[in-house]
Parts: sequence; C-alpha cells; structure tokens
Amino acid sequence: MSKINPLFFALGIPVVVIVILVAVVVPRMGGGGKFADLTPFSVEAYRKDWATLQGNSYRLDCQVEQQLAFVEGRGRVLAVKPIEKDPTRPAGRIPVFVPAGSADSFEVGQRFKCKLRVTRDLLVVEALERF
Amino acid sequence: MRHSLCSLFGWCALTVLGFAQAPPPGGTVNSGGTAGDYKSSSAEGGADRIFNVNSDSVDMENGSMQWKGTTMNLGNARAVRARFERFLAAPTDNGDMKRYIATLDQIQLLLSAQSINQENYYRNQQEAFNLLFKAAEFDIDANNSLTIASQVQKVWVMKQEFRQIEVNKNQLETLRKMQEGIIINRADMIEDASDARTRTQGNSKNGGLGKASSGTTELGFKVKDEARTQAQILARDAEMTALGLKAKIEFQSQMVAFLMARRYRHSLITSSFYRVLFKGGSQNIVVGAKEVKEFFPISDFVPTLESFDMLSREAIKDVSKGVQTVDDLVKQGELYGAFERLQETFFLGEFEPAIMSYPYEKKREMLALWKDLRELQRLGDEHDLGNVEGYVNKVRGRARDFPGAPILSKVTNAMNASNMSLLSAKAAALSGDNVKAEAALERAAKIWPQNPGVKEFANQVVSRQDTLAQKIPEFDRLMTESKWRDIFNKKLEYALALAQDKERSEKLRKVVNRVGELDANIQKASVLASQNNPYLAWDVIVETYKTESDDIVLAKTRSDIAPLVANYAQLIGHAEKLEKDGAEAAALTAWLSAQDLNPASPACGAAVKRLAKSVAESAVIRTNGAVPAPPAAGDEVPVPAKK
Repeated sequence: MSKINPLFFALGIPVVVIVILVAVVVPRMGGGGKFADLTPFSVEAYRKDWATLQGNSYRLDCQVEQQLAFVEGRGRVLAVKPIEKDPTRPAGRIPVFVPAGSADSFEVGQRFKCKLRVTRDLLVVEALERF
Repeated sequence: MRHSLCSLFGWCALTVLGFAQAPPPGGTVNSGGTAGDYKSSSAEGGADRIFNVNSDSVDMENGSMQWKGTTMNLGNARAVRARFERFLAAPTDNGDMKRYIATLDQIQLLLSAQSINQENYYRNQQEAFNLLFKAAEFDIDANNSLTIASQVQKVWVMKQEFRQIEVNKNQLETLRKMQEGIIINRADMIEDASDARTRTQGNSKNGGLGKASSGTTELGFKVKDEARTQAQILARDAEMTALGLKAKIEFQSQMVAFLMARRYRHSLITSSFYRVLFKGGSQNIVVGAKEVKEFFPISDFVPTLESFDMLSREAIKDVSKGVQTVDDLVKQGELYGAFERLQETFFLGEFEPAIMSYPYEKKREMLALWKDLRELQRLGDEHDLGNVEGYVNKVRGRARDFPGAPILSKVTNAMNASNMSLLSAKAAALSGDNVKAEAALERAAKIWPQNPGVKEFANQVVSRQDTLAQKIPEFDRLMTESKWRDIFNKKLEYALALAQDKERSEKLRKVVNRVGELDANIQKASVLASQNNPYLAWDVIVETYKTESDDIVLAKTRSDIAPLVANYAQLIGHAEKLEKDGAEAAALTAWLSAQDLNPASPACGAAVKRLAKSVAESAVIRTNGAVPAPPAAGDEVPVPAKK
C-alpha cells in the first residue's frame, strides 16, 4: 500500500479551501455582484434631468424604506434609499417600480442590488438580488 | 368715608352711575338751617358717644360737621369751601399768640372761683374788664372781647338802674305807709262822728235832719292815693324783674352765640363773667338749653353753665389734639390724612389760636393738594372719566396715602359700562333698531359724555345717510375685484351702510368670515414659524395661497417664511411642475425629497400617496407609451458614471 505523505494533506486541503473561497467571495466583494457590469445609478443626475437617462439601465444598491403603492397585476412602487459609499452625503429616498412578475417579497430594511431601467421618468426594476 | 371731603371727590364720579349715597350716619342734616345751628343726630347714644373724637367729620356737600355725635350745620356748602380755601390761602395771623392766650387765661383766672372772694369781688371784675380791652387789641380777637366788655358794662349799668329803682320803690313804700296811716286816721274820725250822732239822735228823739257823715269824700281820695302808690310799687317790682331777666337773657344769648360761632374762649369768659355778675338764683340756663341738651343724650339732663364750659373746653382740647395729629401726619408724609384732619379741626375750631397760627408754608402745601382735589372733583362732576386717572396719579404723587384705587376702580367700571352701552348701541344700529340704538347711545353718553367711542359712533350715525350712497357702489366694486381684505378692513363702515340691505349684508358676512379664516391661517403659519417649524408653516401658507393668492397680508407672510424653507419650497414647486408636465414618477421623487425634509407634512404625505398609486397604475402603460415632454433642462447631458 502506497503511502501518501501526510504533509500533502496538511498543506493541500487548506489551499483548496482558500482557492474555493477566493473564487466565490472575491467577485462579490468587488461590489458589482450580479450586475457588476452595469453603471451605478446616479440619483443626483436623475433628479436634475431624468430625460437624459431615458432608456438606460443602471445598477442600484438600495434598502427598502416603504412600499408606497401596490396594484394587483401591475406591480408595486417602493420607496428605497440608495446605499451610498459616502454615508455623509445621503441621497434621499427614490421611488422604484417593481413589476408584478417578480416573485420576491419586500420588507422594510431589506437590501437589494437592482438592475434599473429608466423608462420615461419611471425607474423600473428589471432584476434584483438580495444581499 | 363719605363724610370726608376728598372721598367725596371720588364718589362724585360715582354719581355718574347714579349711585345714591346714604345720608351721614347718625346725623340729621339741616340743609336749610343757619350757621351754628345744632341738631340732634339720633336718640341713640350714651356716655361713650360723648367726646368721641373719632366721630368728628365734615360733610362738605351738605355743609355740615359731625361733632360729639351731633350734626353742626356749617352753612352753605360753597361758603364752607370758600372759607376753608380762604384759610389755606391767607397768610397766618400776626401777633403774639402766647400773649393773647395768656391774657384770656388771666381774665378767666381773675373771675374763677379760686380767685374771687368778698374782698376782691369788684377789683377782680374791674381788672378782668380792663384786660378785655387788651385782648381786643390782638387781630385774632376780632374785637370779640369788646363785645363781652360792652355786655358786662351793660349789666353794671343795669345794676345801677336796679338800685335806683330799689330806692324809688322804698320811697314809694314809705309814702304808701303814710297814706295808709292817714286813711286809718280818717276812718277812725268818721266812725267817731257817726257814733256821736247816733247817740244825739237817741236823746232828742225829734230826729232833725243833719249831715249823716262828714270826711268820707276825703277818705275816698286818700284810699285812691294809697292804691296808686301800691300800683307804682308793683310797677317798680315788675320793672326790676324785667330788667334782671333781660340782662340774664342777653348775657346767656351772647354766651351761646360765642359757642355757636366756635369762639370757645370767649364763651368761657362770658360764662365766667355771668357767674360773677348774677346771683345764684339766676344761674339756671334759659337760652340754648335745648341745644346743649342734645350734646348730652341723657333724658333727664339739666343744662348748666358748666355744660357750656365743658363743651368749650372739650372743643379747645380737640382742636389742639387735631393740630398735633396734622403735624404728625405731615411728618410721616401722609398729606391726605393730614389734610382731612386739618379740615375737621378747622371747622371745629376755626378761631382757635392753634388753627389761626398754623404755619403758612404748610397751609400752601395743603392748598396745592386742595386745588388738585377740587380739580378731581370737577372732573368727576363733569364725568370726564378719561382724565380722572391722570389726576388721581397726580394727587397720589402729592399725597401718597390718597385712596385712589377705589376711585380708579369705580371709574373703570363706569367706563366699561359706557363702552358696553355703546356696543349695545352699535349692535342695535346694525340690526336696524334705531330706537334701541338711540337709547343705548344716550345711556353711554350719560355715563361718560366724553367717551371717544360715543363721538365716533355718533358721527357714524349722523353721516350714515351720506355715506350710504358712497359705500354701496364701493362695496360692489371691491366685491367684483375680489378685494376681500379691503372690504374686511372697512367692515364696520360697510356693516352700518348695508344694515338695511340683506343681500349685501350676507355677502359682507361671508367676506368677513373668509378673511377671518385667512387671518387665522396666517396666524397659525406665523406661530409655527416662530416655533422653529417653518416647513409646516409653509404647508399652511401654500394651502391657503391656493385660494387667497391675492391677499397682501398672506403674500407678506409668505415672503417672510420663504427664505427659511427655500429648498423645501423649491422641491415642492419642482414636484408640482413635473406633475403638471406628466412626469409623475419624477414628481414623486421630488415629493419624497420634500417629505424627507418635512416628515410630518400632510401635504407631502398626501401627494406621495396619490402619485405612488397613479404611478403604479400607469406604470405598464408608461413603459410602452410615448415619452412625455422632458423638462426644459439645460444643454448639459450628464455623463453616466463609469464603473
């Protein structure tokens, strides 16, 4: 019976675990997550002139503040607060529309990464994931 | 105190309201009497009321004074005031007061029981008599001592007459006795002759005719002479009695006159002379007994000379004590109390040396206070309530113990009553009840004739007919131009002018209510702003502004608050514009931002709720529909942030 050097296990297993962790966690910590390829949504630009953002898709990291309206079969309007990297300059709440097709539940305080599309002046959530 | 002069001034204001005043307690005022008249106050009282100095008081209104529980009439009220004012204004009498008093005391001493006896009876009288002329040399005596001297001399003359009559009477008595002897003698002779004739007739029996009696005619004349002499004696007796009574009455009258004139020292001297000049049998009081009895409310009291003396001495003592009290009060700065006491003391002992020699400087000070009080009284008499307060304060400045608070309280009540009547008149005029309005106006004017409101209202009423023609077109024009504030500012004038026009009155009422509500909102906004809550204040302003955008006061308040809420106002304005342009989601974003600034805002809450629902309902349509006209943004196109 060939004997494997125990040193191999002692060093190999931690290395494997580290590799797996690096492969899974690092991309998430990079900030982009699922929608890392999208441009972050600028609340300031939207407030200033929403028309210039029409048709664009953006990524928005936000926290649910309040459900403003819900219409069966159409969707709901949520007031969310963007999560800013600079907490000293809060952007204030903005309304987003979540169409009826979404199976997600929304509770106050939940944090989401969203893919937004600016349709006319409306911010429509096309995809999202909790984090 | 009603009976104190200066309280009277205050109460004069009350007469405006028709407050009846009760008569002086315990006193019957003889308003029609003459000076020096004494009247009983009541049947009550006893020894404790006698000489109770605290009961002294002066009633200027009726010209009377209460002393020892008895009302002394001082005469006409105006004359009483004038006399007191003259006393205050006049320089103090010159002369050596101490010497004068000593002279009077010396006279009394010479005539007193302790000094006079059989040996010095005439000498003392003469010395006292001579001193009267010395006393009369003093100005303050006013020659009253001469009056006593002439009275005494009259008694002496009368006594001489009395002696002559006595001699005459004795002579007549002697004559009468002689006449009586002659009559007896004649009668005896006639009787003897008659007896002899009877015997002769018995012897001769022829009864020849002869004279029945002789000497009877003479006897008759002698009897008549004796009767005349007897009558003359009786006449002399009557003359003596009359002379004595006349002297007694005259002397007593003079004594009472001095007492009533409040010349107590002269009354005492007169009494002393009387006691010396008249016999013990003439010491009872004939004149003034009734008046003196009234000072002593005892049923079986018998007035004597000593009663007069006691009254005089008590008065002198009270005056002296009164002047001391006045000085003490002046020293303590209580000028009003001093004034009252001086007034009482003056009327009690106007001619007492202590009063007549009262220092001139102090009198001037009292005179100044008196004049202020007179002015205050005049204001009260004329119902000039507006100026009473000023004068009360002036008097208080002069006399810190002046009781001005009750006066001011009554004046305030009277003013309120007048104003309430005026309001009633206005209400009646507004409702078209002219009779009631006139009565209420008359009442208001009666209480306070110079009430500025009365004059104003009277002018309004008088010019009502004139203004009616102007006010109606003006009102219509302002209504057409929606100038509610202008109408509101002249609401009273319009109310008067339109009182008979129900349709316009109703419009006026609505305008007044509308502006009243607007003012309430403006006030609410101002209060919120002052409480560091400008955003809620702005909400109120914005809400009110929707309907009252033309109001100047609201515009001013809006401009005052706007700088405090510039960003909030801008956000709301932006939101409203976006909504108007059809960008409801963007408008919702702006409203949410505004709500972040003012979480308690009902306006923001309502707008968010409304727009959120609208956005949710129209979201699908909007995603497929036409793009609304974008706001007029600048040329600048934001560059999306790079990843």
